[in-house]
Amino acid sequence: MRARAGLWAVLAVVVALSGVWVAHRGRVAVPAIVQAPGHCVLKTSVMRRTHMQLLRAVREEIVRHDVRDTRFRLTHCVACHAQRTSAGRAIPVNAPGQFCASCHAYVGVRLDCFDCHASVPAPGGVGTPLKGGAVQAAFRMPRALRASQAAAPGGRP
Amino acid sequence: MSDESQKAVSVGAEDGGPEPDALRRRLLKLAGAAVALTLAPGVTVLARDLVVKGPRGRKSAVRYGLLIDASACKSGCDACVRACQDYNGLSHDPGPDNAQWIRKVTITNPQTGLSRSFPVMCQHCENAACVDVCPTGASFRRPDGIVLVDKHRCIGCRYCLMACPYKARSFVARNVEDQKPWAPRGKGTAEGCTMCVERVEAGKLPACVTACQKAGHKAMMFGNLQDPKSAIAQRLSEVATTTIRADLGLLPSVHYRGI
Repeated sequence: MRARAGLWAVLAVVVALSGVWVAHRGRVAVPAIVQAPGHCVLKTSVMRRTHMQLLRAVREEIVRHDVRDTRFRLTHCVACHAQRTSAGRAIPVNAPGQFCASCHAYVGVRLDCFDCHASVPAPGGVGTPLKGGAVQAAFRMPRALRASQAAAPGGRP
Repeated sequence: MSDESQKAVSVGAEDGGPEPDALRRRLLKLAGAAVALTLAPGVTVLARDLVVKGPRGRKSAVRYGLLIDASACKSGCDACVRACQDYNGLSHDPGPDNAQWIRKVTITNPQTGLSRSFPVMCQHCENAACVDVCPTGASFRRPDGIVLVDKHRCIGCRYCLMACPYKARSFVARNVEDQKPWAPRGKGTAEGCTMCVERVEAGKLPACVTACQKAGHKAMMFGNLQDPKSAIAQRLSEVATTTIRADLGLLPSVHYRGI
């Protein structure tokens, strides 16, 4: 009986200590997202939820089916969302604290796009930022996502 | 075959299906169809060469190809190799594990002493060995004839490196940094000449062809092999050309003159 009470006491101490540790350990910083200039291809709420599906659907179309008129291109994402230093040099979007990396660190999802893809925009030419409301009018939703987005409330602007 | 047809006849009779005679006639018709199929390949190969159907059902009458004039190619010149490396973000260093999408090859006829230097890259074969052996479907041939690696699917098994008789594929063995936005490359994937697919789609020439023209040699010609009016198709119909290891029957899109 006494042994059991001792066990409970030890357990209580362990729980209390772990509670203290949880309360005081270092937290992952809440992402500080910097607004990119111009318009995104879809509403922010939609992009947050579906950007990975968009990119996955589009990569098939671009790489295998030779369809390049789509607006959902990783190069365009990078072109807009890469910040620049005061000297004008682009900062990789997957560098700590940057647009992609800060959110992915917060939610604990490994970001492997940039193992292969360029994380800074091209000096000129490919991947220039999209401008104006014409973007929304012109974009084409990948077939795989059309049905699901049509069903989602406020999916497509 | 006879066993199977016997079985089919008995099953049909038990199910109250067609009479055995009617069934036999149907089987004979099927056999006729099978003969037609076996006769067809010679025709279908030719038809496929003329009109390649795209994955979306779009018909593609495009097959991009190169014509390399080995007699115009200068032996000391590596402008095409440099241009490829610069454009696609490859290293200039010819290290043992650095990618080579294009290389200069020199061949000498020991009997006559005639020496020729010319570039060799992915030959974008119609019957590509790399596509055949790829276990994941990462190696694939586009409707326009360009053979690519879908690096999203590549598992880095290197079968394609072994299978390619032109040694056109390379393997990325180390982490890559500072990739070009138009040429994603990463550790653990196979890669090779893309015929500068981004440039071609934008209506430009591949980087190697442009460099060769700039160097003043004009040993490389790019165009649509399917279009009889294209400069490359007309040139191919005028001069005697060959493909490397034509005996393998891979039907490369890269043609050579003067080798």
